[in-house]
Amino acid sequence: MSKLEPRETSPDDALPTAPPAAAPAEGAARAVAAAAAAGRRPAPARRREALVGLAFVAPMLALFLVFRFGPTLGAAFLSLTDYRLSGEWDFIGAANYTRLLNDDLFWESLGVTAVYTALYVPMTVLLALGTAALLYRTLWLRGFFRGLFFLPYVTSIVLAAVIWKWIYEVEDGLLNSTLGALGLGEIDFLGNESLVLPSIAAASAWKGFGYSMLILLAGLQSIPREVTEAATIDGASAWQRFRWVTLPLLRPVLFFVLVIEAIQAFQVFDAMYVMTAGGPVRASYSLVYFLYDSGFKFFDFGYASAVGLVLFLVVLVFSLIQRRLIGREED
Amino acid sequence: MKTGFKRATVPLALLTLTALTAAGCAGGDSGSGSNKVTVWMYPVIMDPKANAAYWDGIEKGFEAAHKDLDLAVEQLPWENRDQKLATAFGSGKGPDVVLLGPDQIPQFQANGAVQPVDRAIEKARSAFRPAALEAMTQDGKVYAAPIYHTVTSTLYNKKLLDKAGIKEPPATWDALKAAAPKLKRAGVATLDYSASNEASLNMSFYPLLWQAGGKVFDESGKKTAFSSPEGVEALTFLVDLYKAGAVPRSALTNANLFTDQALGKEQVAMGYTNTPSDAALAEKTWGKGNAIVGPALTGPRKQVCFGMPGGLGINARTKNLTGAEKFITYMTEPAQIRSMGTAGGFFSPRTDVTVPNGSPFAKEYEAALAHTFPGEPHPAARQLMALITPEIQAALTGKKSPEQALEAAAKEGDDLLARQR
Repeated sequence: MSKLEPRETSPDDALPTAPPAAAPAEGAARAVAAAAAAGRRPAPARRREALVGLAFVAPMLALFLVFRFGPTLGAAFLSLTDYRLSGEWDFIGAANYTRLLNDDLFWESLGVTAVYTALYVPMTVLLALGTAALLYRTLWLRGFFRGLFFLPYVTSIVLAAVIWKWIYEVEDGLLNSTLGALGLGEIDFLGNESLVLPSIAAASAWKGFGYSMLILLAGLQSIPREVTEAATIDGASAWQRFRWVTLPLLRPVLFFVLVIEAIQAFQVFDAMYVMTAGGPVRASYSLVYFLYDSGFKFFDFGYASAVGLVLFLVVLVFSLIQRRLIGREED
Repeated sequence: MKTGFKRATVPLALLTLTALTAAGCAGGDSGSGSNKVTVWMYPVIMDPKANAAYWDGIEKGFEAAHKDLDLAVEQLPWENRDQKLATAFGSGKGPDVVLLGPDQIPQFQANGAVQPVDRAIEKARSAFRPAALEAMTQDGKVYAAPIYHTVTSTLYNKKLLDKAGIKEPPATWDALKAAAPKLKRAGVATLDYSASNEASLNMSFYPLLWQAGGKVFDESGKKTAFSSPEGVEALTFLVDLYKAGAVPRSALTNANLFTDQALGKEQVAMGYTNTPSDAALAEKTWGKGNAIVGPALTGPRKQVCFGMPGGLGINARTKNLTGAEKFITYMTEPAQIRSMGTAGGFFSPRTDVTVPNGSPFAKEYEAALAHTFPGEPHPAARQLMALITPEIQAALTGKKSPEQALEAAAKEGDDLLARQR
């Protein structure tokens, strides 16, 4: 293993008595021994062990099948029908998908979602990375600050959106009052088609960066100090250490965070619903908003399900990319 | 296709839709047993405590009168009520009885989600105001029994009018246009307006359209009719006000909520009001004598305002039709109409019942009642609003001219109507 690669994590690594240099080799040897021991077990014992494992997993598996997998299949089926409010429906094949491909509003909402994702993800990840790096170096009251930065994440999105709406208000919002006090003109953050998405993305980044920050902080803490110390001894500056040592070692965690945040961004709805109701002129009308309107305003459940399935595919593609990239890193 | 398969698949799929949008089904299990009657009610009485106390009293009174029935009135917020009802109806759940407005009825009736209430109001039928009953009628059958009537009239802030040197509250389009520069000089806007996608056009653009002599749908109901000279006149009036700073800039995304928006915050001199309790709240906020309830706004051709009955409808899939009908009969009796009107500040939908109203604004509302219009009932009325609103926003922001905006909305609207079953 190269020194610049992340350390393999095994319970043995955490043993305070294990000498740092010998630990990985020792851990690997123990793992091989354990595997060999397992291989020698008689078949009934292995089966019993597998059944016990399955029993532990079963409740979660059942919940997953009932509340995730089943409904997804149900939605896939519904997207092939013209299900009506009365409960009647006819099978219409791929008609909903054909209509979707020719629906300008679908493409418009997909475009809005893509632009929002392109704005939200870098904002959130940079904010999370910055605060994680600061927290990593902070020794005094680290727990307090970690809690403080994480607080927006556990705040209700509706509450956060309402507060940010007040902050952005044209007439007497906090931002515009500050701009006014500085002698600058008013900015219509939510009423301007060009500014509305960056404004919502900034509010959402404030709300959501805490989760990624914690993951990145854990990633930073897993980087062996001796690696950065070696770079310091070699004369690397703080920026060089971050750019050439920390960042490459953090890459798998960073990829994970990027993909999670992108998936989150593709499902944006609440913030837009509360702050702008999709306006102005549909400038913040996301794909999920389109889905919501199709189902619950136009009562077009089959069509809404088709939108949901497309969204599911987009998220699936992102998840596969994540799997592939992280898998490659681990290899 | 086997029915059992349908039964199993569709609820699952609807569950997904709900989960995907986080819209959620409200109220949990609303299914009724054989002796249970479930009602979905909204905060029709503004004060939450008074609202809860009123419906508690109704539950006790009804159960005392019908000992075999168990009434459960579930309180839901006004927000997203169509969406919540659609989710409930679509999944075969929902309450036995629900409060409905005239513009909701056509869409739910067309989708077979509600059933007629004629039998429940058989004895009281001739006592209802004809207009109130007509607003609830679809294809010759009544789909909601009126229990109250609202009037959306004008509300003025006298303090702000005085500050601008305006003696008479502007009650016509011309007077509004004349007042706008004076109010702007006084540092406030003239008319509170919501162009938000989630705001009902019945409370914003449609009254202007009607005042200009326009209509939303044509006679056949198969085409839109708002992209007309009258429609353009109404939208131009609004755009001119917006450009002149007479409509708050937050109108693009804000809903017209008195407590939180420009009117409540005294940034605008005029808005709309639904009930005397609105006016009472305004007076409490602005100071005694500063809230003025005015007449229905007069446009170039008509003096008209929005106003509608609120009524009780029955879920088409109710398991307790008899109980639901008994509750509706009970709620339309004079005693309940009177108590509802008194508690909520509403008007009586019955000609033989007068609601004792101690509000100092009662006379003004009563005068506006004569000019109310409950909207144009159509199965796609609500959906059409979702298509018109972004185009109104486009006109307000200057992206399109009023003509272009209405033409674009009409094109989308006509496509929607063509798709209607």
